[in-house]
Amino acid sequence: MNNPYLPVKAKIINVKPQTEIDYTFRLETAIKVASGQFFEVSIPNVGEAPISVSDFGDDWIEMTIRNVGKLTNVIHKLKPGSHLFIRGPYGNGFPIQQMSDKDLIIAVGGTGLAPVKSILSQYCKKTIHLKSLTLLTGFKSPADILFREEIEEWRKEFCVELTVDKDDTKNWTGNIGLITGLISKVSISDITNTQVITVGPPIMMKFSVIEFLNRKIAKENIWVSFERKMCCGIGKCGHCKIDNTYICLDGPVFNYYVAQNLID
Amino acid sequence: MGYSFNISTFNNVLRELSADYIIYAPVKIFNKGVFSDTDLVTYGQIKTLEDIEFEEKSHFSSKEIFFPITQTLFYFTEDAFSLPKISPKKIIIFCRPCDANGIQRLDQIFLKNGDLMDNYYNELRKKVHLFVLECKYSFDTCFCVSMGANKVDRYSAFIRRAGDTVLCDVSVDFEDRFSKYGTYVNMTPVFIESNDIKVDIPEKIPKSIFYHKLWDEYSERCIACGRCNVVCPTCSCFTMQDIFYEDNPYCGERRRVWASCMIDGFTDMAGGNSFRKNKGERMRFRLLHKIHDFKQKFGSNHHMCVGCGRCSDVCPENISFTACIQKLNQAVQSSDQRGLKS
Amino acid sequence: MLDINNKKLIKNGYRITNKRQITALRIRVPGGSLDVKYFDIIKDIAQKYGNGKVHITTRQGFEIPGIPMAKISEINEIIHPILIGMESEIGVSIHNPKTGYPAAGTRNISACIGNNVCPFANYNTTELSKKIEKLIYPHDFHVKIALTGCPNDCIKAHMQDIGVIGMVLPMYDSNRCIGCQACVKNCQKVATGALTIVNYKVKRDHLRCIGCGECILKCPVLAWTRGEKYYRMVVMGRTGKKNPRIAQTFMEWVDETAILKVIENLYHYIDQFIDRSLPKEHVGYIVDRTGIQVFKDYVLKDVYIGSLSKIANYMSFSGYGHEKSNYF
Ligand SMILES: Cc1cc2nc3c(=O)[nH]c(=O)nc-3n(C[C@H](O)[C@H](O)[C@H](O)COP(=O)(O)OP(=O)(O)OC[C@H]3O[C@@H](n4cnc5c(N)ncnc54)[C@H](O)[C@@H]3O)c2cc1C
Ligand code: SF4
Ligand code: SF4
Ligand code: SF4
Ligand code: SF4
Ligand code: SF4
Ligand code: FES
Repeated sequence: MNNPYLPVKAKIINVKPQTEIDYTFRLETAIKVASGQFFEVSIPNVGEAPISVSDFGDDWIEMTIRNVGKLTNVIHKLKPGSHLFIRGPYGNGFPIQQMSDKDLIIAVGGTGLAPVKSILSQYCKKTIHLKSLTLLTGFKSPADILFREEIEEWRKEFCVELTVDKDDTKNWTGNIGLITGLISKVSISDITNTQVITVGPPIMMKFSVIEFLNRKIAKENIWVSFERKMCCGIGKCGHCKIDNTYICLDGPVFNYYVAQNLID
Repeated sequence: MGYSFNISTFNNVLRELSADYIIYAPVKIFNKGVFSDTDLVTYGQIKTLEDIEFEEKSHFSSKEIFFPITQTLFYFTEDAFSLPKISPKKIIIFCRPCDANGIQRLDQIFLKNGDLMDNYYNELRKKVHLFVLECKYSFDTCFCVSMGANKVDRYSAFIRRAGDTVLCDVSVDFEDRFSKYGTYVNMTPVFIESNDIKVDIPEKIPKSIFYHKLWDEYSERCIACGRCNVVCPTCSCFTMQDIFYEDNPYCGERRRVWASCMIDGFTDMAGGNSFRKNKGERMRFRLLHKIHDFKQKFGSNHHMCVGCGRCSDVCPENISFTACIQKLNQAVQSSDQRGLKS
Repeated sequence: MLDINNKKLIKNGYRITNKRQITALRIRVPGGSLDVKYFDIIKDIAQKYGNGKVHITTRQGFEIPGIPMAKISEINEIIHPILIGMESEIGVSIHNPKTGYPAAGTRNISACIGNNVCPFANYNTTELSKKIEKLIYPHDFHVKIALTGCPNDCIKAHMQDIGVIGMVLPMYDSNRCIGCQACVKNCQKVATGALTIVNYKVKRDHLRCIGCGECILKCPVLAWTRGEKYYRMVVMGRTGKKNPRIAQTFMEWVDETAILKVIENLYHYIDQFIDRSLPKEHVGYIVDRTGIQVFKDYVLKDVYIGSLSKIANYMSFSGYGHEKSNYF
């Protein structure tokens, strides 16, 4: 019988450090995914954790993993040629296909950039279509910036605004301040035709949504991605449940109209 | 089809069944109670009718038989996975109607929540045949009638013990086994029609109730021990554990173990984020899962809770689940919103 | 004035009081648990012969004060159901129950309420008190024994010559354990920190474990259950003028037979070494004189030592004296 808990082996074909604690791993696999979906990633003997797909191609997926604990510690020691074990993809991604005639504003904080990265690169590759794309992204400090090279590429294709919460290096010439500052200033030309995606730490998402609502974006046009403890990814373990919603099945991407009622 | 037995003829049936089935029933285990010199009533393997405890409610439900507390999902050596072997025998569980209904609630989660079926659950579950024990009287914390879980319509056998006589209503699959030793009688299952405790479950629960002060007392009272979850026939949550063998760290296994939404850590994420830090919120979460969310989610006509009363029976802080339901109901019914915190 | 043999009077369970010719009767209540029907007898004596009051003693007996010594034999007849019910019937041999208590040296065995009521208790203290009473009463040697259900030691077994503390061997079923750590955290907080989590399951360090059973009480899934009952014996605690001290562990993880045998042997030891030139000698002082090794040789004679059982190699009784210049 089909065993949804059995992971498959996926070879690491590239490891790219983004910051000291965030590495991007490219895995060889033909599994088809959508932006915003996640995998349960594991190393047998160590543990399993939900990780978003940060980018994908025909025969690879990328995940950008922050070293925060038991499993991610061990993952960070892996070199190209070694393997990770994955099962998935799980969850619902962003409804990008329905946004082809919309202006899309993506506001992300920190590692929240990872789950939306594939939208940005697909847009550059013209495999998805949008009326326009704007990326607002915030990091704690210049040292925490992810996807530096890609960001430079993106700037050529669409509007990218980047801010850092604070700068101790003294040679940062970009924006300083919270992402909500960027949201309050971003230009919105056609309010009914604008879609918003926001991903990041709970606090950041909360205030970003408030700011977008201030900018009169309708709740129905805002999309958020939730992070909860997950042990199965397939609606069984119960850890991700909020009321009658299972984040792993019904999310992690939610329309804010629904998400506003998800109270832990 | 109804059959009548005396103890020894019924034991003949059990003996024959035991060739193909592992048979479980509530049993009383001497001196295994939590407190010194007390006994424990729980599900265990039986050989004869006399092994079955008919008079007391079991501390745990029967779920651990097919949803083991610790279950190995697979073993791994450096390069390969292997699956644990399970006994080829089928399973018979003698249980009361509430537990039988509880199993259906678990089926909903493991087999029908989401597109993927839990194969580990399914493999054991499909071996299970239920022999429903008739409840002659309801225990003091039971409220199965309020939850509509007092009756079972699908069972392999329905068992009534009256002194030395055992009457059974048997489904076709078990007909030969029973007819061989029993005498044909007319037998109609009887179910409990009322309990001492009745609860009214509010149909609609407004979100505002999340902020009601009624939960506050539980932050003071509940000690987050999780007993209410582990004894519940319908709690299905689990956590994954990867373990390595001490003698060979390259080999190990991935397991799942029961989890409880009342116990610290249930929502812990790396980086220190967690939700429902206080116990009142956990109480709300558990209670609403049992009497609201499940029904809402699956659009079914029953709630998750089957009214077995075990969570009230085992709470070391004497928290009554049904009293909490009543408080909730009152809060929902009353138009008085003064209980709401701003 | 009545001619009174003080020694005989005391041995009969009465007391020399601060009023001449007035005595107080002490009723033994082995294990501190009695049928309330005896209250009627106690009440009648107090009202009819005493001053209408009763004192509850620290050893869990009753003391009925204000009794004229002249009434002793009358009272002894009245208390005869108490001697039958609370002594003879549990197996104590009382030659003539109508002449009152045959001895007072060995004090009433006190006990906490035990597992009849208390969730922490690891055994039935009432039942064990009866077994010990049968073994040691009547006896003149001055010995104090108390039984307590668990190491909380509510009865203050540590202030006795012999204190018996209930233990239980916790049995762990790793398949039942959900890794909630309730047992681990609790053992750390209220007991000895004998438990740790290894590979999501619990390890118990038997050397640290005091068999209190807290882990069993705390486990929500009954991964810990009760194994065999065991006991710890603490010895030679005492109050008193000279050198008060707290009892020390003499043996642990021993069974009931070992406890009973050691107590029985203690009396042989006392018999051998007591200083008969003194009016009475408290057992603790005898041990001080003979040394712990001789004590051990005597009390452990024919004692079955189980595989888990441990006997102390060393015990440190310091207690305190009154070298007040050191403190003040
Ligand atoms: C839908 C989703 C997408 C995610 N995407 C990413 C991503 O792209 N990049 C990234 O770096 N991180 C991501 N995370 C967070 C990531 O799952 C945690 O950082 C990871 O579980 C930490 O595991 P650990 O063993 O290293 O940490 P530990 O702190 O040692 O965690 C131990 C256990 O706690 C549980 N746990 C801890 N944190 C989380 C968490 N946030 N979510 C679920 N379970 C948790 C897991 O069961 C884990 O095995 C995502 C989480 C979710 C729910
Ligand atoms: S919630 Fe309580 S009463 Fe309801 S099924 Fe679970 S244990 Fe029984
Ligand atoms: S009450 Fe808690 S433990 Fe039980 S099924 Fe619901 S979430 Fe899981
Ligand atoms: S059993 Fe009682 S104390 Fe324990 S978690 Fe449940 S409600 Fe709280
Ligand atoms: S019996 Fe007491 S000391 Fe021993 S492990 Fe359990 S809680 Fe700790
Ligand atoms: S209390 Fe029970 S379930 Fe929890 S860690 Fe201890 S043994 Fe395991
Ligand atoms: S992750 Fe297990 S139910 Fe959602």
